[in-house]
Amino acid sequence: METKYLKEWENELNICIRCAYCFEGCPIFKQLGWEADGARGKLVLSYGLLSGELKPSKYIADKIFQCSFCQDCMERCSANVRVIDILTAARADLVNAGFKYDAHLELLDKIKRTGNIFGEEIEPPIQDGETPVLLGCRLLERKDDSIRYLEILKKLGIKPKVVDETCCGMPFGVLGYKEDLKKQQEKFRKRLPYKEFICMCTTCMFFIMKNYPDLKPKYVIEEIAERLPHYNTKKLGLKATYHDPCNLARGMGMVNEPREILKQIGVELVELPTHGKQAECCGGGGGLLTTDNPLAKKLSEKRVNQALDLGVDTLTTLCPTCEFNLGDVAKKNGGKLKVINLLDLVYEAIC
Amino acid sequence: MRDIETEKLKSIVGEKNVQDDPADLYVYGSDASVHESPASVVVKPKTIEEIQQIMCYANDELIPVIPRGSASSTSGHTVPIDGGIVMDLKLMNRILEIRPEDIYCKVEPGVIDDDLNRALKPHGFFWPPAPASSRIATIGGEIGANASGMRSVKYGATRDSVLGMKVILANGDLITLGSNTRVATAGYPIERIIVGSEGTLGIVVEATLKIVPLPKLRCMGIAKFNKVEDAGKAVTDVISSGASPSMLELMDNIGITAVNKNLNLGLPDVAAIILFEADGMIKESVDYEMEKIKNICEKDKGFNIEMSYDAKERTRIYTGRKKLFASLSRYKEGIICTDLADDMAVPNSKIAETAHEIHKIAERNNVIMSVYGHCGSGVLHTKIMFDVTNKKKWDDASKAASELYDYVHSVGGTTSGEHGIALSKAPFWKKEKADSLNVMRSIKKALDPNNILNPHKLQDAPDNWLTATRLRYRVR
Repeated sequence: METKYLKEWENELNICIRCAYCFEGCPIFKQLGWEADGARGKLVLSYGLLSGELKPSKYIADKIFQCSFCQDCMERCSANVRVIDILTAARADLVNAGFKYDAHLELLDKIKRTGNIFGEEIEPPIQDGETPVLLGCRLLERKDDSIRYLEILKKLGIKPKVVDETCCGMPFGVLGYKEDLKKQQEKFRKRLPYKEFICMCTTCMFFIMKNYPDLKPKYVIEEIAERLPHYNTKKLGLKATYHDPCNLARGMGMVNEPREILKQIGVELVELPTHGKQAECCGGGGGLLTTDNPLAKKLSEKRVNQALDLGVDTLTTLCPTCEFNLGDVAKKNGGKLKVINLLDLVYEAIC
Repeated sequence: MRDIETEKLKSIVGEKNVQDDPADLYVYGSDASVHESPASVVVKPKTIEEIQQIMCYANDELIPVIPRGSASSTSGHTVPIDGGIVMDLKLMNRILEIRPEDIYCKVEPGVIDDDLNRALKPHGFFWPPAPASSRIATIGGEIGANASGMRSVKYGATRDSVLGMKVILANGDLITLGSNTRVATAGYPIERIIVGSEGTLGIVVEATLKIVPLPKLRCMGIAKFNKVEDAGKAVTDVISSGASPSMLELMDNIGITAVNKNLNLGLPDVAAIILFEADGMIKESVDYEMEKIKNICEKDKGFNIEMSYDAKERTRIYTGRKKLFASLSRYKEGIICTDLADDMAVPNSKIAETAHEIHKIAERNNVIMSVYGHCGSGVLHTKIMFDVTNKKKWDDASKAASELYDYVHSVGGTTSGEHGIALSKAPFWKKEKADSLNVMRSIKKALDPNNILNPHKLQDAPDNWLTATRLRYRVR
């Protein structure tokens, strides 16, 4: 197999001492239990593909794609090995070698056709303000919610400018379609031709930070955290737990900001057993919802049950994908747990 | 070795607990060492009975069996050099009993060290070996390697805390060794031989572990030194003074630079530091130990000595120390940290000169070697750092390892103080233990006549570690 992308990571693969510290919190390893399911195993497989000691197979592709890119392994790695970059390269090489998933192709085709992951013509809530705002596919599809979230910004003194945006290309990147990603990135830049903008989606934000080095987006929660203390807010008098999205807590290091906001709006926070940078993944990342939906749902179910065990009836989070994945499972499990975006709570408190 | 009947293994442990895809066999063919060699099949037993059946089958068919925990082993302990059945014991992870009144607990081999300590904490006890890998190290693996760590200076190694065990022999027999008591006199202490036998004599399926009351107080200090030899001398003097530190670590500038670069820890940029800790139930006794160690460090040219009871600060420093091994790979671009010549132990009086010699050997052989470790126990970690893709550099590393072990043996030291022998260190260890190898082989033969348990390790390992297996790196 040609390893066009993996070969760039040979030194990083050598830096991994294979100490196995990455087993400790890996949600996939905990769920499936074989070493090839954990980060070390996946890196060893990547090395095998690179060295030619392993022939590529559907089985290996499944292992490499069965990862939610939660970065827990990187958080625990003593050598700071860039696991996600290596696995992204391995995915790209496997795709080039013909290991493609119908579900992935279907998803990517939707983006190519319509510019969003839903494959539907969605009319964005265009606003002609001063500060460009990127909603991201998931919030674009939730137009009413988006309009309310934009109201938060207005309330905080920001005049949002919403354009006819297109997908940032994240699914192409994480699913290994590097050439298609380049094309989508060009489209994205044309539609949102700004260096600085507010990003409403956690996943888009993290992807843009990593894949558009010249852009300087600001995550919505940073903006709110800075401005909210200057406003009088209602105290919601609510008891809730908060799920740290992987891309926010581990990816961007934002653990305190959401908690400070919850405190300010009068939400009593009951922490999940794992939280902050140690928070367990809901299974919604890395394309896992598309690659292995039942596995993603199992991880989500574990998180929902952890919340229910706390005796709370509300779980709030920020990432729209976490919100979707956890909310979906919570609903199917009888709806005892309400999953709500933290922005909805902020809206309630200030609008 | 005859062909392995995967179906037979599936009938024992269930279909979902057997893997034979080449990808899994490849993954289970490596650990944290430089070696790799694929397994033939991987099984995950859940019960003693299942293991007994597997062993009976393997013994009849002369199939190697390699027990495996988290495989953080550093010298190829869990690398199946001849293929065979890799027995992943991570599913056997129950804590069976915690008996504070008897000061022991009983566990299955797949229990993780940190999980055990979390379970012991509410009882006011802890399991003391504390290897740096405690977050993933299994008790079975710790027993196999006779592991130890930062607290060995006060609490000893795994062997010192194992009271007894249940072991399945190569023929499938289940035997009970040791006792539940703190002393036992009669007969051969076979349980003590099993500890450190690297899976070559039996599969430990239950262990009775001596637990220790948790100290109420821990105080940590850092002393800085302008010469690594001065730091080494201070370690020697602390130990020979009769002081009782619960940790006494040395770290040279290479180690300091690596952890600072990788973890942004802000450790002082000096030639060497000593990290020391005392623990106890009464502040006066802890203060006494700390003062005593501080005074010795000062006498040996230590300076800017800071001491703190602050748990957060202690955790920050521990983190740096625990992550040092991996951080070394970030020391310099293009230089990789390999687990070679990594854990020799020398007599207490030889710390300073060994530290000096390590740097000289590294320089002479154009490799980088850090000096750090649980020097209070006499353990010096090195690691050999070089460009692993360059064939010539492997010759340099091999020569450096050889010179280092010759030196260590010449001063009365031993090849491995903490991680074990397996493959990478076997040639040097066999040289050290030349006159007792046949006795060891007799013991192995008595317990495993068909040589199926983790074969070709320790005394039976190949004489050339470089060619013992494929190396895990692409060497050009």
